[in-house]
Amino acid sequence: MSEIAKDLHTEHMVINMGPSHPVTHGTVKFLVTLDGETIEDLKVEIGYLHRGFEKMCESGTWYQVFPYTDRLNYVSPLINNVGYALAVEKLIGIDVPERCKYVRVIACELSRIADHMTNVAAGGLELGAFTAFLYFVEARELVWDLIEMLCGARVTTNYVRIGGLKNDLPDGFKQKTLEVFKRCRVLWSDVNKLLTKNRVFIDRVRDVGTMPAEEAIAYGFTGPCLRACGVPYDVRKANPYLVYDRMDFEVPIGETGDNFDKYLVRMEEINQSMRIVEQALEQLPGGPINVDMPYYRWQSKDDIYNRIDSLIFHFKTVIEGIKPPPGEVYLAVESGNGELGFYLVSDGSGKPYKCRVRPPCFPLTAAMPRMMKGRLIADIVPTFDMINMIGGECDR
Amino acid sequence: MTQFDGKGSQVTVGVPAGRLKPKRVRRNLDLTLWEKLYVFEIIRGMYVTTKHFALNMLGFVLPPRGKKRSVFTVYYPDEKVVLPPAYRGRPVLVMRPDGTERCVACGLCETACPGHAISIVGAERENGERYPLSYVLDMTRCVYCGFCEEVCPKEAIVMSSEYQGLAETDRSRMRYSKEQLLRSEESVKGRIEYIRRIYSKCNY
Repeated sequence: MSEIAKDLHTEHMVINMGPSHPVTHGTVKFLVTLDGETIEDLKVEIGYLHRGFEKMCESGTWYQVFPYTDRLNYVSPLINNVGYALAVEKLIGIDVPERCKYVRVIACELSRIADHMTNVAAGGLELGAFTAFLYFVEARELVWDLIEMLCGARVTTNYVRIGGLKNDLPDGFKQKTLEVFKRCRVLWSDVNKLLTKNRVFIDRVRDVGTMPAEEAIAYGFTGPCLRACGVPYDVRKANPYLVYDRMDFEVPIGETGDNFDKYLVRMEEINQSMRIVEQALEQLPGGPINVDMPYYRWQSKDDIYNRIDSLIFHFKTVIEGIKPPPGEVYLAVESGNGELGFYLVSDGSGKPYKCRVRPPCFPLTAAMPRMMKGRLIADIVPTFDMINMIGGECDR
Repeated sequence: MTQFDGKGSQVTVGVPAGRLKPKRVRRNLDLTLWEKLYVFEIIRGMYVTTKHFALNMLGFVLPPRGKKRSVFTVYYPDEKVVLPPAYRGRPVLVMRPDGTERCVACGLCETACPGHAISIVGAERENGERYPLSYVLDMTRCVYCGFCEEVCPKEAIVMSSEYQGLAETDRSRMRYSKEQLLRSEESVKGRIEYIRRIYSKCNY
């Protein structure tokens, strides 16, 4: 055998995957050095979706950042809205009313369900399970219908405001949600039947893209990918924001951090998120949804139409923007991919001095070469899907 | 995680990772011989998909109440989805019954717009009333965020439920003028009532 191999003229082949390859979800390029089918080296090139998010924020008022945050992780935009709003509220030092907290939790968890469903569905699709994709996309459409009913848009939600929300829950939201979840559970169990014990699926994902827990922490993993490695770290449990400490939910963890673990963790989290939404709807208190501080939350239209002082104040707050006190703040929330952090600096003016985002999928994308060296080229596809890199968030 | 409560004493917030009782997912599925034989698993998978197929086909014959079929798909140009009242479509200007616009060219929407899509030139009528001489909405820049509607003190610009005809092959044709944007009050009545309800009392 070695005699034959000596005569064979083999050399490494370098190929480009992407930036607009069908399996790369975001626009991202892989520079793969191959020896036959084995990956010798992999370089990830990001930045194809760079829009200058952090610079754009500096040119607008604190309010005008909200539409930009929708476009960070565009699969779960409400979590980004909530994260930014919580960071600004921490900077100002205000506490939103109880009802607002519960509605924010509901919005966050609906987004997380949509995020995980998209991820698992796309993972199935890339391994040839088109049926599972269709079932989960139907479930995601139902969840997005709920979000549309709530915010007026499916993806570009722009729902949360500093010190409150754009609007309250619409009529009949609770009943509609419970109906949707009933259907979602049916579809979830169908996908579970099709994928979880499927030998073809298991052969493709089990023991691919493994990551020891220490290395995962060293790389800066968070979210489902870290939990798949066996580290029970969840921002909702470790540092509860809003009312997550009152909710009864479990944190699923895996063992080796391979793609099968990531899949199982995400499937379990969909269930847990549905439980959280049901609990939040059950415990939902009455009362106001906005803080009564006209300096930070725009005044009601009733006052603006009828009172000249309110109208003048409205003009002033819209044109100059709200003015948080000078200072800096970091706040992290648990987004679909992990710890989404906002680091804000205020110099006391109406515009953010600095708005830095800690994207959860950036460290995950950085670990792609580590996970892929020595594997086959076909393993790139499920691994890259399961780390769920979202271009809008990674490149900003 | 440890935090300080401002008085110098430590308070513990949340559950540290060491004390958290996580739920371990069932990773090492013990596939039985039955499942390893694979043929029967295919039959089980076919059962799931065939059930969906059969229920969907049955839905064409016996549709569920209030729907034409049980399939989730909407046959778009023939049928249209029912939009919720919250839906944000193309922003339009509201026209008074006499054909003039409600807008007084205060410029709040121009300021609040994150995409700088709106540009207004204001002027004054002979009776001293302000009006927009030109109101240009650049739909190539609009992000449908609804801030213009939220800040407007005159209910003059609203997000209608129009979603057709927004795409053009020429960017210059997407700069809509005041005349193209004006809609009668009746056509956007539902939306005006909706925004009155959600914005009129901030603390409802």
